[in-house]
Amino acid sequence: MTIQGKQLTKLVTRLEGGERLPAELYAQTGKARIVGITGPPGVGKSSLIDRLIDELRRQGKTVGVVVIDPSSPISGGALLGDRLRMQRHSEDDGVFIRSLATRRHRGGLTDSTPQIVHALDAAGFDIVIVETVGTGQDEVEVAEVVDSVVVVLMPELGDEIQRAKSGLMEIADVLVINKSDLFGAPETLADHRHSRTQWERPTIHTSARNGEGITTLSGALDAHHAYLVASGELARRRDRAARAEVIRLLQSRLSVSILCALEAPQAQTILTNVAKRKLDPYDAVQKLLVKILGSNNRSSKHVARSPR
Amino acid sequence: MRRPIKVLIAKAGLDGHERGALVVAMGLRDAGMEVVYTGIRNTPEQIVAAAVQEDVDVIGLSSLSGGHMAQFSRVMELLKKEKVKGVLVFAGGIIPDEDVKKLQKLGIKEVFGPGSTIASIAEFLKKNVRSK
Repeated sequence: MTIQGKQLTKLVTRLEGGERLPAELYAQTGKARIVGITGPPGVGKSSLIDRLIDELRRQGKTVGVVVIDPSSPISGGALLGDRLRMQRHSEDDGVFIRSLATRRHRGGLTDSTPQIVHALDAAGFDIVIVETVGTGQDEVEVAEVVDSVVVVLMPELGDEIQRAKSGLMEIADVLVINKSDLFGAPETLADHRHSRTQWERPTIHTSARNGEGITTLSGALDAHHAYLVASGELARRRDRAARAEVIRLLQSRLSVSILCALEAPQAQTILTNVAKRKLDPYDAVQKLLVKILGSNNRSSKHVARSPR
Repeated sequence: MRRPIKVLIAKAGLDGHERGALVVAMGLRDAGMEVVYTGIRNTPEQIVAAAVQEDVDVIGLSSLSGGHMAQFSRVMELLKKEKVKGVLVFAGGIIPDEDVKKLQKLGIKEVFGPGSTIASIAEFLKKNVRSK
Protein backbone atom coordinates (compact mmCIF):
# COMPACT_ATOMS: atom_id res chain seq x y z
CA MET A 1 0.00 0.00 0.00
CA THR A 2 1.44 3.35 -1.00
CA ILE A 3 -0.10 6.72 -0.62
CA GLN A 4 0.52 9.90 -2.53
CA GLY A 5 -1.06 13.06 -3.86
CA LYS A 6 -4.71 13.47 -3.08
CA GLN A 7 -4.89 10.19 -1.17
CA LEU A 8 -2.26 11.50 1.21
CA THR A 9 -4.00 14.82 1.71
CA LYS A 10 -7.32 13.10 2.46
CA LEU A 11 -5.61 10.66 4.83
CA VAL A 12 -4.03 13.56 6.72
CA THR A 13 -7.45 15.19 7.06
CA ARG A 14 -8.88 12.00 8.54
CA LEU A 15 -5.97 11.69 10.96
CA GLU A 16 -6.41 15.30 11.94
CA GLY A 17 -10.05 14.50 12.71
CA GLY A 18 -9.03 11.75 15.13
CA GLU A 19 -9.14 8.64 12.95
CA ARG A 20 -6.35 6.12 13.09
CA LEU A 21 -3.60 5.41 10.60
CA PRO A 22 -4.16 2.06 8.85
CA ALA A 23 -1.90 -0.56 10.45
CA GLU A 24 -0.38 -1.55 7.10
CA LEU A 25 0.86 2.03 6.70
CA TYR A 26 2.31 2.15 10.19
CA ALA A 27 4.30 -0.95 9.29
CA GLN A 28 5.99 1.07 6.53
CA THR A 29 7.18 3.87 8.78
CA GLY A 30 10.53 4.38 10.47
CA LYS A 31 12.45 5.22 7.31
CA ALA A 32 12.20 9.01 7.28
CA ARG A 33 14.39 11.32 9.30
CA ILE A 34 12.14 13.38 11.54
CA VAL A 35 13.30 16.88 12.41
CA GLY A 36 11.57 19.27 14.81
CA ILE A 37 11.88 23.04 14.52
CA THR A 38 10.81 24.94 17.61
CA GLY A 39 11.36 28.29 19.32
CA PRO A 40 9.57 31.50 20.26
CA PRO A 41 7.08 33.21 17.92
CA GLY A 42 8.62 35.46 15.29
CA VAL A 43 12.20 34.16 15.33
CA GLY A 44 11.82 32.94 11.75
CA LYS A 45 11.11 29.23 12.05
CA SER A 46 8.95 29.07 8.92
CA SER A 47 11.31 31.21 6.86
CA LEU A 48 14.20 29.02 7.98
CA ILE A 49 12.28 25.92 6.87
CA ASP A 50 11.67 27.59 3.52
CA ARG A 51 15.45 27.91 3.08
CA LEU A 52 16.10 24.44 4.43
CA ILE A 53 13.68 22.97 1.88
CA ASP A 54 15.77 24.64 -0.87
CA GLU A 55 18.91 23.03 0.48
CA LEU A 56 17.36 19.58 0.95
CA ARG A 57 15.83 19.64 -2.52
CA ARG A 58 19.23 20.57 -3.96
CA GLN A 59 20.51 17.39 -2.33
CA GLY A 60 17.71 15.48 -4.03
CA LYS A 61 15.79 14.72 -0.83
CA THR A 62 12.02 14.88 -0.63
CA VAL A 63 10.47 16.79 2.25
CA GLY A 64 7.19 16.52 4.13
CA VAL A 65 6.39 19.48 6.37
CA VAL A 66 3.86 19.85 9.17
CA VAL A 67 3.44 23.42 10.41
CA ILE A 68 1.39 24.26 13.46
CA ASP A 69 -0.23 27.49 14.60
CA PRO A 70 -2.50 28.05 17.59
CA SER A 71 -6.29 27.83 17.56
CA SER A 72 -8.17 30.72 19.08
CA PRO A 73 -9.31 29.94 22.63
CA ILE A 74 -12.22 32.30 21.96
CA SER A 75 -13.60 31.38 18.53
CA GLY A 76 -11.95 28.01 17.93
CA GLY A 77 -10.73 29.36 14.59
CA ALA A 78 -7.13 29.84 13.58
CA LEU A 79 -4.98 31.92 11.29
CA LEU A 80 -2.46 29.52 9.80
CA GLY A 81 0.33 31.74 8.56
CA ASP A 82 3.34 29.46 8.34
CA ARG A 83 2.76 28.14 4.86
CA LEU A 84 2.97 31.68 3.53
CA ARG A 85 6.73 31.67 4.14
CA MET A 86 7.27 28.50 2.12
CA GLN A 87 4.47 28.80 -0.41
CA ARG A 88 6.91 28.95 -3.34
CA HIS A 89 7.54 25.22 -2.80
CA SER A 90 3.86 24.37 -3.30
CA GLU A 91 4.26 23.30 -6.89
CA ASP A 92 7.22 21.04 -6.17
CA ASP A 93 6.07 17.40 -6.17
CA GLY A 94 8.92 16.53 -3.81
CA VAL A 95 7.50 18.78 -1.11
CA PHE A 96 4.26 18.37 0.83
CA ILE A 97 3.23 21.05 3.31
CA ARG A 98 0.30 20.82 5.70
CA SER A 99 -0.85 23.48 8.16
CA LEU A 100 -2.51 22.38 11.39
CA ALA A 101 -4.30 24.28 14.14
CA THR A 102 -3.68 23.19 17.74
CA ARG A 103 -7.41 22.79 18.53
CA ARG A 104 -6.75 23.29 22.22
CA HIS A 105 -3.91 20.80 22.41
CA ARG A 106 -1.12 22.10 24.64
CA GLY A 107 2.56 21.34 24.40
CA GLY A 108 3.40 22.84 21.01
CA LEU A 109 1.93 20.19 18.69
CA THR A 110 -1.56 18.89 17.89
CA ASP A 111 -3.26 15.67 18.99
CA SER A 112 -2.78 14.33 15.50
CA THR A 113 0.86 15.29 14.87
CA PRO A 114 2.47 11.89 15.62
CA GLN A 115 0.02 10.11 13.32
CA ILE A 116 0.47 12.67 10.54
CA VAL A 117 4.24 12.34 10.81
CA HIS A 118 3.79 8.58 10.38
CA ALA A 119 1.63 9.20 7.30
CA LEU A 120 4.32 11.38 5.69
CA ASP A 121 6.94 8.81 6.64
CA ALA A 122 4.87 6.03 5.05
CA ALA A 123 4.35 8.20 1.97
CA GLY A 124 8.10 7.98 1.43
CA PHE A 125 9.39 11.47 2.22
CA ASP A 126 13.10 11.37 3.09
CA ILE A 127 12.81 14.10 5.69
CA VAL A 128 9.76 15.07 7.71
CA ILE A 129 9.94 18.50 9.35
CA VAL A 130 7.63 19.43 12.21
CA GLU A 131 7.32 23.10 13.05
CA THR A 132 5.77 23.65 16.47
CA VAL A 133 3.70 26.64 17.48
CA GLY A 134 5.77 29.52 18.77
CA THR A 135 6.97 28.08 22.06
CA GLY A 136 7.83 29.48 25.44
CA GLN A 137 10.05 27.73 27.91
CA ASP A 138 8.06 24.66 28.70
CA GLU A 139 6.53 23.33 25.48
CA VAL A 140 8.87 20.44 24.83
CA GLU A 141 6.51 17.78 23.49
CA VAL A 142 8.19 17.87 20.09
CA ALA A 143 11.19 16.07 21.59
CA GLU A 144 8.96 13.01 22.05
CA VAL A 145 8.02 12.90 18.37
CA VAL A 146 11.13 13.74 16.34
CA ASP A 147 14.69 12.43 16.02
CA SER A 148 16.48 15.79 16.06
CA VAL A 149 15.31 19.01 17.69
CA VAL A 150 16.37 22.39 16.34
CA VAL A 151 15.68 25.28 18.71
CA VAL A 152 15.60 28.59 16.86
CA LEU A 153 16.37 31.82 18.70
CA MET A 154 17.41 35.27 17.57
CA PRO A 155 19.95 37.80 18.79
CA GLU A 156 19.16 39.83 21.90
CA LEU A 157 16.73 37.20 23.16
CA GLY A 158 18.03 37.02 26.68
CA ASP A 159 21.34 36.46 28.35
CA GLU A 160 23.32 33.42 29.36
CA ILE A 161 21.05 32.66 32.30
CA GLN A 162 18.06 32.31 29.96
CA ARG A 163 19.99 29.69 28.02
CA ALA A 164 20.94 27.81 31.16
CA LYS A 165 17.31 27.24 32.14
CA SER A 166 15.45 23.96 31.96
CA GLY A 167 12.89 23.09 29.33
CA LEU A 168 13.15 24.30 25.77
CA MET A 169 16.89 24.94 25.87
CA GLU A 170 17.58 21.43 27.11
CA ILE A 171 15.85 19.64 24.27
CA ALA A 172 17.92 21.36 21.55
CA ASP A 173 20.20 19.10 19.55
CA VAL A 174 21.07 22.03 17.32
CA LEU A 175 20.78 25.64 18.39
CA VAL A 176 20.13 28.23 15.70
CA ILE A 177 20.47 31.98 16.08
CA ASN A 178 18.43 33.25 13.16
CA LYS A 179 18.28 36.85 11.92
CA SER A 180 22.03 37.04 12.41
CA ASP A 181 22.13 39.73 9.76
CA LEU A 182 20.10 42.10 11.92
CA PHE A 183 22.50 43.10 14.65
CA GLY A 184 25.84 43.35 12.94
CA ALA A 185 28.41 40.84 14.09
CA PRO A 186 26.95 37.54 15.31
CA GLU A 187 26.72 37.51 19.06
CA THR A 188 28.91 34.97 20.73
CA LEU A 189 27.25 32.40 22.86
CA ALA A 190 28.22 30.63 25.97
CA ASP A 191 26.22 27.50 25.37
CA HIS A 192 25.59 25.08 28.16
CA ARG A 193 26.02 21.87 26.28
CA HIS A 194 24.36 18.60 27.05
CA SER A 195 26.28 17.00 29.81
CA ARG A 196 24.49 13.70 29.32
CA THR A 197 25.71 12.84 25.84
CA GLN A 198 28.81 13.03 23.68
CA TRP A 199 26.98 15.10 21.12
CA GLU A 200 28.61 18.52 20.97
CA ARG A 201 25.61 20.70 20.38
CA PRO A 202 26.45 23.22 17.70
CA THR A 203 25.24 26.81 17.65
CA ILE A 204 24.64 27.98 14.12
CA HIS A 205 24.10 31.54 13.00
CA THR A 206 21.67 31.82 10.15
CA SER A 207 19.81 34.43 8.21
CA ALA A 208 16.67 33.17 6.54
CA ARG A 209 16.60 36.54 4.79
CA ASN A 210 19.85 36.09 2.86
CA GLY A 211 20.34 32.33 3.13
CA GLU A 212 23.44 32.53 5.29
CA GLY A 213 24.19 29.49 7.44
CA ILE A 214 21.60 27.21 5.86
CA THR A 215 24.15 24.78 4.41
CA THR A 216 25.82 24.66 7.83
CA LEU A 217 22.47 23.89 9.44
CA SER A 218 21.75 21.12 6.96
CA GLY A 219 25.25 19.73 7.61
CA ALA A 220 24.68 19.85 11.38
CA LEU A 221 21.45 17.89 10.95
CA ASP A 222 23.30 15.27 8.92
CA ALA A 223 25.99 15.09 11.59
CA HIS A 224 23.40 14.73 14.33
CA HIS A 225 21.66 11.95 12.45
CA ALA A 226 24.98 10.15 11.98
CA TYR A 227 25.64 10.56 15.71
CA LEU A 228 22.19 9.19 16.57
CA VAL A 229 22.76 6.13 14.43
CA ALA A 230 26.34 5.45 15.56
CA SER A 231 25.66 5.92 19.27
CA GLY A 232 22.49 3.85 19.35
CA GLU A 233 20.64 6.96 20.50
CA LEU A 234 18.31 6.84 17.48
CA ALA A 235 16.92 3.49 18.57
CA ARG A 236 16.55 4.77 22.13
CA ARG A 237 14.75 7.91 20.99
CA ARG A 238 12.39 5.95 18.78
CA ASP A 239 11.63 3.55 21.62
CA ARG A 240 10.85 6.56 23.74
CA ALA A 241 8.68 8.09 21.02
CA ALA A 242 6.71 4.88 20.54
CA ARG A 243 6.22 4.55 24.27
CA ALA A 244 5.10 8.18 24.58
CA GLU A 245 2.66 7.77 21.71
CA VAL A 246 1.09 4.62 23.15
CA ILE A 247 0.80 6.25 26.57
CA ARG A 248 -0.89 9.31 25.05
CA LEU A 249 -3.37 7.11 23.18
CA LEU A 250 -4.04 5.05 26.29
CA GLN A 251 -4.65 8.19 28.29
CA SER A 252 -7.09 9.62 25.80
CA ARG A 253 -8.88 6.29 25.44
CA LEU A 254 -9.14 6.06 29.20
CA SER A 255 -10.38 9.59 29.54
CA VAL A 256 -13.18 8.76 27.11
CA SER A 257 -13.99 5.72 29.24
CA ILE A 258 -13.95 7.83 32.37
CA LEU A 259 -16.40 10.33 30.94
CA CYS A 260 -18.68 7.52 29.71
CA ALA A 261 -18.56 5.74 33.05
CA LEU A 262 -19.45 8.92 34.90
CA GLU A 263 -22.71 9.10 32.95
CA ALA A 264 -24.05 6.01 34.74
CA PRO A 265 -26.59 6.63 37.56
CA GLN A 266 -24.46 4.75 40.12
CA ALA A 267 -21.50 6.98 39.28
CA GLN A 268 -23.68 10.03 39.63
CA THR A 269 -24.62 8.87 43.11
CA ILE A 270 -20.98 8.44 44.02
CA LEU A 271 -20.20 11.95 42.82
CA THR A 272 -23.15 13.39 44.72
CA ASN A 273 -21.99 11.61 47.86
CA VAL A 274 -18.59 13.21 47.53
CA ALA A 275 -20.22 16.63 47.30
CA LYS A 276 -22.36 15.84 50.37
CA ARG A 277 -19.24 14.79 52.30
CA LYS A 278 -20.62 11.28 52.73
CA LEU A 279 -17.76 9.89 50.68
CA ASP A 280 -14.11 10.82 50.45
CA PRO A 281 -12.80 11.66 46.90
CA TYR A 282 -10.12 8.98 47.11
CA ASP A 283 -12.63 6.29 48.08
CA ALA A 284 -14.87 7.51 45.26
CA VAL A 285 -12.01 7.06 42.79
CA GLN A 286 -11.44 3.55 44.08
CA LYS A 287 -15.10 2.63 43.52
CA LEU A 288 -15.19 4.30 40.09
CA LEU A 289 -11.98 2.67 38.92
CA VAL A 290 -13.56 -0.74 39.22
CA LYS A 291 -16.41 0.36 36.97
CA ILE A 292 -14.20 2.15 34.47
CA LEU A 293 -11.67 -0.62 34.01
CA GLY A 294 -14.53 -3.09 33.71
CA SER A 295 -16.26 -1.05 31.04
CA ASN A 296 -13.15 -0.24 29.04
CA ASN A 297 -13.24 -3.41 26.97
CA ARG A 298 -16.35 -2.40 25.13
CA SER A 299 -15.37 1.14 24.22
CA SER A 300 -15.36 2.63 20.75
CA LYS A 301 -14.30 0.70 17.65
CA HIS A 302 -12.52 3.72 16.26
CA VAL A 303 -9.94 5.43 18.36
CA ALA A 304 -11.22 8.74 19.55
CA ARG A 305 -7.96 10.33 20.47
CA SER A 306 -9.42 12.79 22.87
CA PRO A 307 -12.81 14.06 23.90
CA ARG A 308 -13.10 17.37 22.17
CA MET B 1 -16.47 15.66 15.33
CA ARG B 2 -16.78 17.82 12.27
CA ARG B 3 -13.74 19.98 11.82
CA PRO B 4 -13.97 23.75 11.56
CA ILE B 5 -14.41 25.03 8.01
CA LYS B 6 -10.95 25.29 6.48
CA VAL B 7 -10.32 28.23 4.17
CA LEU B 8 -7.41 29.24 1.95
CA ILE B 9 -7.11 33.00 1.45
CA ALA B 10 -4.69 34.04 -1.26
CA LYS B 11 -3.84 36.82 -3.63
CA ALA B 12 -2.79 35.90 -7.14
CA GLY B 13 -0.39 37.67 -9.43
CA LEU B 14 1.29 41.04 -9.11
CA ASP B 15 -1.02 42.66 -6.60
CA GLY B 16 0.39 43.89 -3.33
CA HIS B 17 -2.83 45.18 -1.78
CA GLU B 18 -2.88 42.79 1.14
CA ARG B 19 -4.93 44.53 3.81
CA GLY B 20 -8.38 43.41 2.66
CA ALA B 21 -7.39 39.77 2.32
CA LEU B 22 -5.77 39.80 5.75
CA VAL B 23 -8.82 41.46 7.33
CA VAL B 24 -11.06 38.79 5.80
CA ALA B 25 -8.68 36.05 6.98
CA MET B 26 -8.75 37.37 10.54
CA GLY B 27 -12.50 37.87 10.41
CA LEU B 28 -13.08 34.27 9.35
CA ARG B 29 -10.72 33.13 12.11
CA ASP B 30 -12.92 35.04 14.54
CA ALA B 31 -15.94 33.28 13.02
CA GLY B 32 -14.39 29.95 14.08
CA MET B 33 -12.77 28.91 10.82
CA GLU B 34 -9.25 27.63 10.24
CA VAL B 35 -7.73 29.97 7.70
CA VAL B 36 -4.55 29.23 5.78
CA TYR B 37 -3.26 32.58 4.65
CA THR B 38 -0.75 32.47 1.83
CA GLY B 39 -0.46 36.20 1.21
CA ILE B 40 0.46 38.05 -1.93
CA ARG B 41 1.99 37.10 -5.28
CA ASN B 42 0.83 33.50 -5.47
CA THR B 43 0.61 31.92 -8.90
CA PRO B 44 -2.69 30.18 -9.71
CA GLU B 45 -0.65 26.96 -9.76
CA GLN B 46 0.59 27.57 -6.22
CA ILE B 47 -2.91 28.38 -5.01
CA VAL B 48 -4.37 25.18 -6.39
CA ALA B 49 -1.46 23.05 -5.13
CA ALA B 50 -1.83 24.60 -1.67
CA ALA B 51 -5.60 24.00 -1.68
CA VAL B 52 -5.01 20.33 -2.46
CA GLN B 53 -2.26 19.82 0.13
CA GLU B 54 -4.21 21.68 2.79
CA ASP B 55 -7.47 19.92 1.83
CA VAL B 56 -9.47 23.12 2.27
CA ASP B 57 -13.22 23.48 1.97
CA VAL B 58 -13.03 27.00 0.59
CA ILE B 59 -10.69 29.13 -1.52
CA GLY B 60 -10.99 32.90 -1.16
CA LEU B 61 -9.29 34.91 -3.90
CA SER B 62 -8.58 38.59 -3.60
CA SER B 63 -7.70 41.05 -6.33
CA LEU B 64 -7.48 44.82 -6.40
CA SER B 65 -5.22 45.28 -9.36
CA GLY B 66 -7.46 44.42 -12.28
CA GLY B 67 -5.90 41.03 -12.95
CA HIS B 68 -8.87 39.06 -11.64
CA MET B 69 -10.18 37.73 -14.95
CA ALA B 70 -6.84 36.24 -16.00
CA GLN B 71 -5.79 35.00 -12.58
CA PHE B 72 -9.12 33.68 -11.26
CA SER B 73 -10.09 31.93 -14.48
CA ARG B 74 -6.72 30.16 -14.44
CA VAL B 75 -7.39 29.02 -10.86
CA MET B 76 -10.79 27.64 -11.90
CA GLU B 77 -9.25 25.94 -14.93
CA LEU B 78 -6.57 24.27 -12.80
CA LEU B 79 -9.10 23.12 -10.20
CA LYS B 80 -10.98 21.41 -13.00
CA LYS B 81 -7.80 19.94 -14.47
CA GLU B 82 -6.67 18.62 -11.09
CA LYS B 83 -10.17 17.21 -10.47
CA VAL B 84 -10.51 19.08 -7.21
CA LYS B 85 -14.09 18.61 -6.13
CA GLY B 86 -16.26 20.05 -3.41
CA VAL B 87 -14.22 23.20 -2.90
CA LEU B 88 -16.17 26.44 -2.83
CA VAL B 89 -14.41 29.39 -4.44
CA PHE B 90 -15.32 32.97 -3.62
CA ALA B 91 -13.68 36.25 -4.50
CA GLY B 92 -13.30 39.74 -3.19
CA GLY B 93 -11.73 43.07 -4.05
CA ILE B 94 -12.25 45.64 -6.75
CA ILE B 95 -14.14 43.79 -9.43
CA PRO B 96 -16.39 45.55 -11.98
CA ASP B 97 -20.03 44.44 -12.10
CA GLU B 98 -19.73 43.18 -15.66
CA ASP B 99 -16.95 40.82 -14.56
CA VAL B 100 -18.86 39.47 -11.58
CA LYS B 101 -21.25 37.57 -13.84
CA LYS B 102 -18.38 36.22 -15.91
CA LEU B 103 -16.62 35.00 -12.80
CA GLN B 104 -19.78 33.38 -11.53
CA LYS B 105 -20.14 31.61 -14.83
CA LEU B 106 -16.65 30.21 -14.30
CA GLY B 107 -17.83 28.69 -11.03
CA ILE B 108 -16.89 31.38 -8.54
CA LYS B 109 -19.77 31.20 -6.14
CA GLU B 110 -19.85 34.78 -4.88
CA VAL B 111 -17.95 38.03 -5.24
CA PHE B 112 -17.72 40.39 -2.29
CA GLY B 113 -16.93 43.97 -3.22
CA PRO B 114 -16.10 47.04 -1.12
CA GLY B 115 -18.45 47.54 1.81
CA SER B 116 -19.11 43.83 2.32
CA THR B 117 -19.11 42.90 5.99
CA ILE B 118 -17.11 40.07 7.50
CA ALA B 119 -20.36 38.78 9.00
CA SER B 120 -21.96 38.48 5.57
CA ILE B 121 -18.97 36.54 4.22
CA ALA B 122 -18.86 34.22 7.25
CA GLU B 123 -22.58 33.62 7.03
CA PHE B 124 -22.35 32.89 3.32
CA LEU B 125 -19.60 30.34 3.89
CA LYS B 126 -21.37 28.65 6.77
CA LYS B 127 -24.50 28.33 4.69
CA ASN B 128 -22.79 27.00 1.57
CA VAL B 129 -19.93 24.87 2.83
CA ARG B 130 -20.07 21.37 4.13
CA SER B 131 -17.02 20.90 6.27
CA LYS B 132 -15.28 17.54 6.06
